[in-house]
Amino acid sequence: MAKDITIYTTNTCAYCVMVKKWLGVKGFSYNEVNLDEHPERAQEALAISGQLAVPVTVITKEDDSQEVVVGYNLAKLAPAVA
Amino acid sequence: MATPKIVYYGADWCADCHMAKTYFARHELSYEAHDIDHEPGAKEAMLAITGGSSAIPTIIIGDVIMQEPTAAQLDKALELKPSLEQSNIQDVIMVGAGPTALAAAIYTTREDIDTVLYEKGVIGGLAATTDWVDNYPGFPDGISGLDLAENLRKQAERFGAKIELGEVLDIAHEDGLVKLSTTDGDRYAKAVLIATGSDYKRMGIPGEDTYYARGVHYCATCDGAFYRDKKIVVVGGGNSAVQEALFLTRFASHIDLLVRSELRASEVLIHQLEKNDKITVHLGVTTDEIIGDGAKVEKVVCTRAATGKKVDFVTDGVFVFIGLKPNTGFLRQTEIEFDEIGFIKTNEKLETAIKGVFAAGDVRSGATMQIASAVGEGATAALRIREYLQHS
Repeated sequence: MAKDITIYTTNTCAYCVMVKKWLGVKGFSYNEVNLDEHPERAQEALAISGQLAVPVTVITKEDDSQEVVVGYNLAKLAPAVA
Repeated sequence: MATPKIVYYGADWCADCHMAKTYFARHELSYEAHDIDHEPGAKEAMLAITGGSSAIPTIIIGDVIMQEPTAAQLDKALELKPSLEQSNIQDVIMVGAGPTALAAAIYTTREDIDTVLYEKGVIGGLAATTDWVDNYPGFPDGISGLDLAENLRKQAERFGAKIELGEVLDIAHEDGLVKLSTTDGDRYAKAVLIATGSDYKRMGIPGEDTYYARGVHYCATCDGAFYRDKKIVVVGGGNSAVQEALFLTRFASHIDLLVRSELRASEVLIHQLEKNDKITVHLGVTTDEIIGDGAKVEKVVCTRAATGKKVDFVTDGVFVFIGLKPNTGFLRQTEIEFDEIGFIKTNEKLETAIKGVFAAGDVRSGATMQIASAVGEGATAALRIREYLQHS
């Protein structure tokens, strides 16, 4: 079960909208880091994901282990938050 | 009935394994997971169970051993759903929730035709990932792709369209109905509209896959923010390439626009391009290779068509918009017919070769790849489906 979910997004990214929508439908709350509002944190998103892309979803589990999902990928997102 | 114990063996690279895990997550089923690549002894344990067969996912439900099961087979093993009940039959299922399907759904739901849309990607489709839409009628100042998609979604849902986030894997005609195999199990509909649209083509050159999402991108509105004050190459000469290059000037210090032959963008966009001093246009340039240091892109190697000479463009990232390919991969094993490029063939009523299955929008052979025409075809498809339902 996810203890914390943080999503790195941008204002114009449609896939970011889908990740937030899907988490909302499933009843998960999340923190959002908008890289248009906080461009200084783009390097942080890159360091976490290894990719120059959003959305980056960081799921912190009960045991503090983390899983990172890049993009809107239900096949990875659904098991990660389960 | 208590759910029997579920044991899963799979691997990260296996698409069917991801599908199985998604299936379990959707049904909120807990299961014992084993990664045969990374967990010591897992592969051997699986082979002992399967008698040496290495197909994955291997899933054990109670006493039943299944390999590469379909969602329907999992349904049956778990006794989750009856395969076909009246309540499980929709009037219309639309595959995709882009402008075509959303427009069609506005029409069908207003006729009280029960309508479900299945979307595996973004609601609004490729239009939603487009920075700005200036040629869609009714918006004199233009509208962002994301806002247009949101408006279409709201309008369709206002009349009762249901959008489900999932993937259709196969389509067939069965007992007078259309059967869809989906990541949520089998669904049945009296009629189906395929409106899966298109996606950007890849170049198929060395380095493209190596640096995917680490310097090679196909979505400017998603990934452009990582290129503040950096140099970018945009490949392509059509409306999308020029529109997205203009968008990327919000971030980039300079953009080289590489065009294989001539610019094919609309005059309005070409005028905007000419006024923008951040973009340099290079005509008659083929893109041959993307080179980097293993972690990031450093340059793009090209050939000038007129001279045959190689030329390098030093860059931090490459955005590719060289045309569209239809999203029809999931239909390859069906009876649906395609043109030589892979777009779906229909008759004048937008019917495919499978009875009760219609196709419209960018995915259809002959499509003009415009949001306005996609919406128009959606409306036409809805009216044809209504006729079909009245006479079937």
